[in-house]
Amino acid sequence: MKNMTGQDSWQSAGIITETEAEAAAGCIRTALNAGASQIRVSLDKSIIDSFALLNGELDKVTHAADRSVCLYIFANGRYGTFSTNVFEKELLQEFVKKAVRATGLLAEDRFRRLPDSGRTAKDALKGDEAGLYDRSRHHMTPGQRLKSAMSGTIYSECRQDAMKTAKGAEYSIISEECEYSDSIDDNITMDSQGFLGRHIETSFGYTSEITVGTPDCGLFSGYWWDSSPFKSGLRIEGCSETALKRAIRQVGPERCSSGKYNMVVDSSVSSRLVSPIVSALNAMAIQQHNSFLADSLGKKIFPEGLTLEDKARTPGRPGSRFYDSEGVATEDSPVISRGTVMEYFINTYMSGKTGMQPTTEGISRPVLRSYMPNNGLQSAEKEISLQDMLKCCEDGIYVCGFNGGNCNPTTGDFSYGIEGFVFRHGEIAAPVREMLITGNMIRLWNSLIAAGSDARKCTRWQIPSLAFCDVDFSA
Amino acid sequence: MDNRYYLDTFRITIPQLEMLTGTALGNGGSWADLYFEYSTYSELMLRDGDVTSGGFHTDYGAGIRTLNGEKTGYAYSESTGMKELTEAAKAASMIALSQRQFTPQSVRSLESAGLYPMSSPWRQADLAGFIPFLKSLEKKIRSRDSRVLKVMARLAASQSDIMMFNSSGELACDTRPCGSIVVSVIFSQGGKTESKSVSRSFRMGTEMVTEALADDMAADAVAGIDERFDARRPKGGQMPVVMGAGASGILLHEAMGHAFEADFNRKGQSVFSGRIGEKVCSTDISIVDDGTVRGNRGACNFDDEGVAGQKTWMVKDGILNSYLHDRISASWFKTAPTGNGRRESFRFHPIPRMRATYMENGTTPPEDIISSVKKGIYVDEFSNGQVKIGEGDFTFFVKSGRLIRNGRLGAPVKDINIIGNGPRALADIIAVGNDLKIDNGTWTCGKDQNVPVSCGIPTVLVKNLTVGGE
Repeated sequence: MKNMTGQDSWQSAGIITETEAEAAAGCIRTALNAGASQIRVSLDKSIIDSFALLNGELDKVTHAADRSVCLYIFANGRYGTFSTNVFEKELLQEFVKKAVRATGLLAEDRFRRLPDSGRTAKDALKGDEAGLYDRSRHHMTPGQRLKSAMSGTIYSECRQDAMKTAKGAEYSIISEECEYSDSIDDNITMDSQGFLGRHIETSFGYTSEITVGTPDCGLFSGYWWDSSPFKSGLRIEGCSETALKRAIRQVGPERCSSGKYNMVVDSSVSSRLVSPIVSALNAMAIQQHNSFLADSLGKKIFPEGLTLEDKARTPGRPGSRFYDSEGVATEDSPVISRGTVMEYFINTYMSGKTGMQPTTEGISRPVLRSYMPNNGLQSAEKEISLQDMLKCCEDGIYVCGFNGGNCNPTTGDFSYGIEGFVFRHGEIAAPVREMLITGNMIRLWNSLIAAGSDARKCTRWQIPSLAFCDVDFSA
Repeated sequence: MDNRYYLDTFRITIPQLEMLTGTALGNGGSWADLYFEYSTYSELMLRDGDVTSGGFHTDYGAGIRTLNGEKTGYAYSESTGMKELTEAAKAASMIALSQRQFTPQSVRSLESAGLYPMSSPWRQADLAGFIPFLKSLEKKIRSRDSRVLKVMARLAASQSDIMMFNSSGELACDTRPCGSIVVSVIFSQGGKTESKSVSRSFRMGTEMVTEALADDMAADAVAGIDERFDARRPKGGQMPVVMGAGASGILLHEAMGHAFEADFNRKGQSVFSGRIGEKVCSTDISIVDDGTVRGNRGACNFDDEGVAGQKTWMVKDGILNSYLHDRISASWFKTAPTGNGRRESFRFHPIPRMRATYMENGTTPPEDIISSVKKGIYVDEFSNGQVKIGEGDFTFFVKSGRLIRNGRLGAPVKDINIIGNGPRALADIIAVGNDLKIDNGTWTCGKDQNVPVSCGIPTVLVKNLTVGGE
């Protein structure tokens, strides 16, 4: 017997069982019979296993297995959302009936409806279309996980009472925390108009955090990680070494005076400066007058050097996804093209409220294009490295971390705590801490000097190192 | 409710609890505990003048933990059937490998302190019954200020039945309500927009939803808006900072409280590690983490390890008095747990977490503190705080404040950060007001897992902090 996907069995892939999938499908029938006019059901199931080490010894073993069914019910122009992790047939049916009754008590909202069926994805039925499913995860054993966790510790080889940084400052390792984890997430989304989508994703990750102490009781910690949808893509080696380097390079911070500096932001944290833009492009923020990018569609708000795209359909890369939470098909699309705002994120509801054509609910896989004006430092074909950017700026502050802060969504005014290094003549000179940057998001981006080509491949947001001029720093 | 209710809810018996504990210790661990949870959540959202979305959610399951000294094995199941729970117990037991034998202890039920008033439970309430409240709240806000452009209001409520059993034979049961109301308002004036959010949250039943609460929140929602439109980003630099009473207590939570959590101290990662008994600030200062404030969002009849809620002085009269312990760190430090072992849900194992964190009253009237500052800044609303536990460095975004010039409050300021170092800021507090206020906002701490907390502080003067400005 074939199921709705045309497969012989729901369980031919992933971790959602046939019984669970049929239970989700049964929710649609129950809701419609109970008076719902439309319904979308999202069934999520995930398993995570992790082995954590403290100072080179096993400290924590966890196994997590979750499943839930979420119902988006539309009943006579009314709308409600409901979820449960109880799958027993009779209890689930009662839950759905109660949910339909509760929806009927809310106020009518004529803009609530499922997306037009012509907009939903038709090409994500098996779950592995996004290329993020490593079936070898099913065969991982506790012994293999422990071995992976142990393979990344450097505690025993690095633990000495007193070591010295390159500049001669003494330090010792206080603690090392490493964690290996792998997970699988399986989603089936279906609606009463016949949409059916499945997305299966595995992930393998390793994190390391090392704290070092100095003779004057200073503590400095460094963190690094790697992850991949594939076991073979995970690079455990080097995580702890990088975490240690990031800890010890903070030893001996300098006081830096307030003023305007060039700023280079490391690719590991640069997405922090892109996320306020993405939030401001959401139709909900615009409709609620809570966006500094209202009335910006089609306008050149940002500089020539800023091109941001949604590359949602890049199979095998983290963030690749063929349908959004409404089931709408994603597509590769420009969001900001050479400074011009090309897209708002408009779901079906917000499309009705604003009168704008619907797009997708949000960005799946943001990719910021590299950019460097022709200044003789390199050719257009060459990769733009962090070093290129530091040389291009000559002097300034290289930001490696953000510590608190906020961006006002209505004005774009921001203030963030930062940590990082002073650089002089294109070379890193000394660590700085207890500093702040302040400004306005649109003005900041209009001072963009360069965007690198060094985005970390393991992250969903492909944002490279960024360089800006004349940024206000307080210290 | 007696224990029978909880055993029936989770469809399990005392002998089965003992059996599962034995399985969790089957490989020779030193401690095992079981945590059962049945939670229901409901929510309503008002937007564009009407309550057009809402819903409810349920969550059910049990977590099983095995300890082997300080090492943790943890697994959970979304079913409380013996087959699934036995598998979870076996998975958790993997952390241990010794010949230690488990000896069952006689079962003892622990008494609850009854810290959550709930005359009308959320779970039995009709969701639609709160729609008039949200509409009334919007009406009250709009009637107070003609510049109101948009109002979004959300009512969220939860009720959790919790049952905990451990290898010492202790059985603790708790029903935890939590009601929260958040309102966000957008104002428009002369083409400019400003926003403000106000929230209230209590461990109470539906009786917390009253017209008086709506009046109170509406007044708060429009308070200080004139200043927000006039506010400017000031010139930055180092200066004295007066923290207003109440919500400024988030600074205590972030900049000091986390560094007192004993997991960081056990690992030597906190700036306060190894400093118990040391003088860390003025003898006028006492800082507590309190799980006993009746109806407070951070109140705990029991923590999530079955330890009774209690009041813990982290700093007493200027001396570092206690870390915040779960069972693991308490055992490591050879002291009693302080009731700080908390978790987000049965999906998480407990770790040391704060509850209601506040500074106790001093003796100085707040107006005297302000008048003592020649040139500085007064802040009374923070958000987006962050701290580096080891270094102690913190940053807080200031949502509202004013300049202080010659002892008087002056021009309003906004969109700035305050940055400093926790221990140094604590040592730099030179005046403590007599106006302690605990803020009843929807504070949620996100250290690996989300748990409800609250915070408070009297007006205090820090003699030197970095203020980020133009």
